[in-house]
This record gives sequence, C-alpha cells and structure tokens, in this order.
Amino acid sequence: MMRKRIADILTYVVLIVWTVVVLFPIFWMVTTSFKDKLDVYLGPRYLPWVDFKPTTKWWVRIFTVERRELITPFINSLVVAGISSFFAALFGSMAAYALTRYRFRFGPMKNDDILLWIVSQRMMPPIITALAVFLMFRVTNLLDTHLSLILVYIAFNLPLAVWIMANFLSQIPRSIEEAALVDGASRAQAFFRVVVPMVLPSLSATFLLCFVFAWNEFLFALILTYSRAQTVPILIAMQHFQRGPQWWDISALSTLAVIPPIAITIGLQRYFIKGLVPIGK
Amino acid sequence: MRRKVGSRVAQWQGRLFLAPTVVVLLLLTIFPFLFTLAMAFGKVSFEGGALKISLVGIRNWVRLIHDSRFWNALVVTLKIVGLSVFCEYVLGLLLAVLLNRRIRGRTFFRVTFLLPMMLAPIAVGYMWRMMLNDTRGPFNHILGHLGLAPVGWLSDPNVAMYSIILTDIWQWTPFMILILLAGLQGIPKDYIEAAKVDGASGWKIFLYVVFPLLTPASIAAIFLRSVEAFKIIDIIYIMTGGGPGLVTESLTLYGYSVGLRAFDLAYGATISFSLFFVVLASATLFFLLTRKARQISLE
Repeated sequence: MMRKRIADILTYVVLIVWTVVVLFPIFWMVTTSFKDKLDVYLGPRYLPWVDFKPTTKWWVRIFTVERRELITPFINSLVVAGISSFFAALFGSMAAYALTRYRFRFGPMKNDDILLWIVSQRMMPPIITALAVFLMFRVTNLLDTHLSLILVYIAFNLPLAVWIMANFLSQIPRSIEEAALVDGASRAQAFFRVVVPMVLPSLSATFLLCFVFAWNEFLFALILTYSRAQTVPILIAMQHFQRGPQWWDISALSTLAVIPPIAITIGLQRYFIKGLVPIGK
Repeated sequence: MRRKVGSRVAQWQGRLFLAPTVVVLLLLTIFPFLFTLAMAFGKVSFEGGALKISLVGIRNWVRLIHDSRFWNALVVTLKIVGLSVFCEYVLGLLLAVLLNRRIRGRTFFRVTFLLPMMLAPIAVGYMWRMMLNDTRGPFNHILGHLGLAPVGWLSDPNVAMYSIILTDIWQWTPFMILILLAGLQGIPKDYIEAAKVDGASGWKIFLYVVFPLLTPASIAAIFLRSVEAFKIIDIIYIMTGGGPGLVTESLTLYGYSVGLRAFDLAYGATISFSLFFVVLASATLFFLLTRKARQISLE
C-alpha cells in the first residue's frame, strides 16, 4: 500500500510538471499580447496584475485600425481550410467506402495495396513536390489564389482522411446498407443516404482534423501565396519579419491563430482518448 | 462482390468511388514528384514566358555531392530527427504509462498533453523564440536568478540547434503519447494480472510484459514521427531562419531557398529530391533494424 501511495504521488508530480511545461509557452504568448511595450522591453514580466498591468490596447488595435489588413488572411485561412477539408473528407470517405466494399485489382495491386499506396503519399516530404507544384500553378496562372491552396490541401489531407475513414467504415455493420440495396437503392444512394448519416460523427472528426492541418500548414502557403491569398501562418511570419521585436501584436495574432485548433482538440477529446484509429492493424 | 449479377457494373461503381482520390493524388502528388525528378536531371528556363526543361544528365547531382552546404543541411536534418525523436519517444512513453494508470483528472491531462501538436508550428516557433530571447525571455531571466550565466539560445552556434530540438520536443511529444497510449490500452489486462499473481514487481511487469507487448506501437510511433520530422522547416524558419550561419539549416529550408529565393529551380529540385532518398534509406534501415523486434512481437 505504501509503495502504491508513493507511486501515485510521483505520478501526479510528473503529470503536473508536464502540464506546466505544456501550458507555460501558451500562457506566455497570451499574456504577452496584453503587455505594454515597456513590460516587454524591460525584461520578462510574468504575472498579470502582479508584476505588470495588462492592457487591451493591442487587441483593440487589431480589431479597429489594423482590421482591414489583418482580417483577409483569417478569411483566407477559413475558406481554404474549410473547403479543402470538406472535399478531403468527402473524397476520402468515398475512397474508403470503395476499398471496404468492393474488390479491386489493378495489376498486382489489391485493396490493401491501394490503401497503402494512398496512405504512403502522406510520408513524402512536401518539399519534393513543392517546386513542381509552384511551376504548375505559375503556368496555369493560379499562383496566389484560393483555388491553388485548396487543391494542394485536398491532396495533402486525403491520405489521412482515407486511412481514418477506412478504419471506421470497416467497423460498421453492412446489413443496413444491404437492406437499402435490396430495396432498390443505387450504390450512390446507399452511400450518401445510409452510410454517411451513420458515420457522420467520425466524418466530422475527420473533417475537423483535416481543417487543423490545413489551417496550420506553412510550406505550401509560403510558396504559393504572396499577397491576396496569404494565410494566417504566413501573416504571422511576415509580420514578424516586418515588425521585428513588436511581440505584443504578433502574440495577439498567434493567439487568434491557435484558438480554432484548441477548440477543435477539446471538441474531439472523445476521439483522441478512445484512439482515433486502432494501432497495429 | 455480393451481387453477382452485373458485376461489371459493380466494378465501375467501385472505381467511380475511388476516382476523385486517385485523380487528385496523381495530379498533385505523383505528377509533381516525376516533374521534380525531371528537373533534377535538367535545366529549367523560361523562353518567352514558356517553361522549358532540357535534360543535362547528372550534372546537378555532381554539384550536389561537392556542395558542402548540402552536407551541412543533411547532417543538421539527421541530427534534429535523431535527437528529437529519441527524446520524444522516451518522454512520450513515460507520460503514456502514467496516463494509463488509474488517476484523477485523466481527461484533463490527456487533452492538455495533446494541445501542442495541434497548434500551428509557426505560432509555436514564435512562442519559443520569445521565451528564448537573450535579454527579454524568461529562460535567461531564471538562469540569472539561479546565478548562472545567460545562454545565447538562438544566437550561439553551439546551442541554436538544441533550442530547435527543444521546441520540436515540446510540440511533438504529444504524438508519441497519443500512439503509445492507444497501444497500452490494447494490452490485455490478464497478462498483467498473471504477472502480478506470479509476484512480479511493477518495474518487472513493465520491463518484461508491458514493454515487449508495446513493440508494435513503439515501432509505429517512432516510424511515423521520424518521417514527419524529416520535413522540418516552419519552426526553423521563424526561430533562426537557418542561422546563426547555417547551423540550423534543414534540407527542406535549403531546397526552398535555392529553388524559390535564388530561383535556381533545377538545383533546388535536386536538393529536394535528395530528401526522398534520405527518407527512403532511413526507412529501409529502420525496418532492417527492427525486423527482429517485429518478428518477436508477432509471436
């Protein structure tokens, strides 16, 4: 019993220490956005109301004076991440449905090989395709447009979407959709009217996960956009290089940039805790 | 497959469901991949606005082999991957084991521990850049209070890479926790109970029962994380820009700089494509090294 007590106490100590490690940088960013210039310049200040007086003036400035130039990247990110994730989840679940319901054979490739081929695309470092993708969009005059980023992010997220949805779809019983087929529904009807509603929670989880990855993506956004279609990560990087040590502004922007992912993580906790996909399958 | 009648029709239906994914991947992954390969063996020019690639053999690759900046970027990338993934695995294993115990506030800890990997790497890099600042960051401030000399976290060529690795560990240990915890939950309770009945201590149970049974999850976690780590650019871009000098320049950053800043597309493509061979070679080596462990875990 004594040993178990000690083990429990040690467990809590380690977990609490790591909680502090995880939260401190986020805390630092959020508080910096409420610091006045001097509280940044005159060395680190830690606790609001204790060693510095928080100010909301940078936040006010972001939402008033600077609103027009700062809001566009946020809209761009929302549009690009939203539309690309919708199609990644849609195409991904269609492919996953095909791979779990039909038997394919393309040359030596069977279903599992096709799945592996799709998933392995994710492992390729993006820089390998990036320069060619840049040229493709340059030739087609699509640089700095939403469309170019949307297309790239669909491809970027598809392997993940197919993998997650294939795992979910292989678990759900087929009797219901087969009943629909017997009743004369077409495959497309069975998929969209029967299967999709059944897996809607997993489908939304997949969508949200893709959304986070597209929202955070940096390399392609850096290469394919320069002004009109700039996304939030690029805005942060550019502001950083233009404004140098004006930490308060960029901290506020970064805080805005991490709110959607944090909200989504909390919303999806059930999926993460149960394990998004069975490992070793 | 169930309906024997009209199986040709079924064949085509299946292909239609698969088509969008295959088309997107062929167009935006496979085609650019081959295109880069062509560029790596060619010369890219714009004649009157039209793109032209003429093949020049292995000239770019000869240049690559004699390019000390390439070897530097390769070593930097390998060091970052090796060190961060190792530390992330050890930390992730410890935390996953603790999270798998019966404790209060499990949900809170699990969700909190996941957060870093969900945040934009650019924002993460920026947070750490502020915290590691020589004069205005809390790190040196606290060191000062402990009576220690300040460290040039991002300005000292001997330290900068470790600051990048530290940031990477903060952001990606959650990924290890996620996969290892799923692995731990898949271990049948009977095995552990049986070991307890035999009088094994907690340590022994972990060492001889839990850890061996966790091998598939460990291999998956290390493999997937390493593949991702090879891609590193965003944290470096915002924290050091590859500096001081070139001590933190990764292969992706070097390929990007040559290809799109210096606009030497052919050589940029060569550098980028070399990363493919690096990842392929590392993956093959990894699978050879873990072959024995994988066979044991299958039995």
